[in-house]
Amino acid sequence: MQIEAADLSLNHPDGTPALRDIGLRIASGQFCAVLGMSGAGKTSLLHLLGGLRTPSAGMVRLDGRELCDATLADLRPRIGQVHQAFALVRQSGSAANIIAGAAGQIPCWRALTGLYPAWARQRAVDLHVAMGLDAAALTRPVSTLSGGQQQRVAIARAMMGRPDLLLADEPVASLDRETARTVLDFLKTQQRETGMTVVCALHQPDFARAYADQIIVLDSGRVTFAGAAAAYRPAAGQGAAA
Amino acid sequence: MTMRPAYPRALGWRHLAVLVMAALLLAASAARMDLGRLAQQMVTAVLAPTGLAAGSPETRALGGMIAQLAPIQLSDRRDVTSIADFDPDRLPPFAYLETTTETRLELDPDTLVHAQVARRTTWLVQPFGYAWQVAGEMLETIEIALWGTIVAIILSLPLALLGARPLMPQPIVRNAARSICAALRAFPELLSALFLVAAFGFGPGAGILALGIHAAGYLGRTFADAIEDADQRPLQAVQATGANGLVAFRMAVLPQVKAPFVSATFYILDRNVRTATVVGLVGAGGIGQELKGRIDLFEYGHVGTILIAILITVLLLDRIAIRLRHRGHADA
Repeated sequence: MQIEAADLSLNHPDGTPALRDIGLRIASGQFCAVLGMSGAGKTSLLHLLGGLRTPSAGMVRLDGRELCDATLADLRPRIGQVHQAFALVRQSGSAANIIAGAAGQIPCWRALTGLYPAWARQRAVDLHVAMGLDAAALTRPVSTLSGGQQQRVAIARAMMGRPDLLLADEPVASLDRETARTVLDFLKTQQRETGMTVVCALHQPDFARAYADQIIVLDSGRVTFAGAAAAYRPAAGQGAAA
Repeated sequence: MTMRPAYPRALGWRHLAVLVMAALLLAASAARMDLGRLAQQMVTAVLAPTGLAAGSPETRALGGMIAQLAPIQLSDRRDVTSIADFDPDRLPPFAYLETTTETRLELDPDTLVHAQVARRTTWLVQPFGYAWQVAGEMLETIEIALWGTIVAIILSLPLALLGARPLMPQPIVRNAARSICAALRAFPELLSALFLVAAFGFGPGAGILALGIHAAGYLGRTFADAIEDADQRPLQAVQATGANGLVAFRMAVLPQVKAPFVSATFYILDRNVRTATVVGLVGAGGIGQELKGRIDLFEYGHVGTILIAILITVLLLDRIAIRLRHRGHADA
């Protein structure tokens, strides 16, 4: 899925600007890392790209279609999102959380009765296993899992609907470096195999350079760098070699 | 250089003013309610059995009423002539016949002279007949409570979905649903049972509706509050996949509110069992109807049996509710 944004601005409810005049273009099938300090506007940008918030000015186009109320219903099932605070149902197991990622694609009566189709159950278990989670976690409340395990469940849920666009808000923030690499390897493999576009907010410049095709750096709501990952040079002291 | 901020104060002058105002209002209300005399009576009632205070008329009256409840009535004794199609060869289990002779002064219609007449009466005695009857009526009371709870759940669920902010963004609809909940629980069950008995006649139907309507107001509000208190981020995450509101509620909110829903429903069931005995007093079926009849006939032994049956039932249901609630929390 191709992403275009022009003159994109967003104000917080108190009127302070979160993003100012953002212009970007991410080609279909690219892995784009969004870097920036806390409060730089990474989450706000992902919310605008995913249609979770409406911009104060400017517009977002996904595959040439402007993101608005009229197109959101069609575009939403094609977008997978990993939320910063996981946004998991803490009382449910990993299986129920992962399958909820395809809620928009499962027939209504099946979703309401819990009699999910075989393809959905199969894919939920496949993703659970691919994320390196043990079988017991399928039904155990996710509140009993570690932060890293919860993050992997959130990633699996975002992948559940076979999205054309994955918006991941710091998907490896709670993981140790080894597990973070496993998760990013998985996302990279999925991106290559399925051709989905990945926009991933990260804190680690070394991970961004290792996995991304394109990097966008935000500072105080403005883009300070946008270009090929190979061309990005982090400031001294930022990040270690991947 | 910025000033070092101070730790926020726990109590300010506003808190103090509110506390003083509340204390003054409570004191005025206590005087209106004559709580001083009530407190004095309570102290006397507690101290009288120990000999530290002389018994008051109130404590003697209460003690007298309680004493009349014993011995409780377990058996049932009926004149066989009042039993339709009575067959002495086919008695109920454990039942036996008892014959009594009573001499009475009666007017002879032929001679118009009063004479002593011996009357023999045959009684069917069932040693646990009355206890069995009370158990049957207690079961009917539990059934009224159960159906009242089912009616309440059916009425309250749509009201809760329409009255919860995360699921219903329209304030007009939300406020209307909340107002209906408030209106439903505004009138106590006993009051609505009076009208419903007049409309639907004596029997459990009026009781079921009275309990269901009142409890629907409570459950509707409790369910809506539970939905609003649930973490909204999973709901937004599921809605972001393109799911409709009902599916998003089922997948993201219901697992979170299942435990409070189960808890509130068991509280209502428990409450309905106790209230079902009260609505029976106005003819809405169940053990209350029997209780009212026995009180009117001053048959306090029977009243004692009924009160013990209510106590045992409420205690048993309480134990069952605690077990099921723990299981509900464990499953959630």
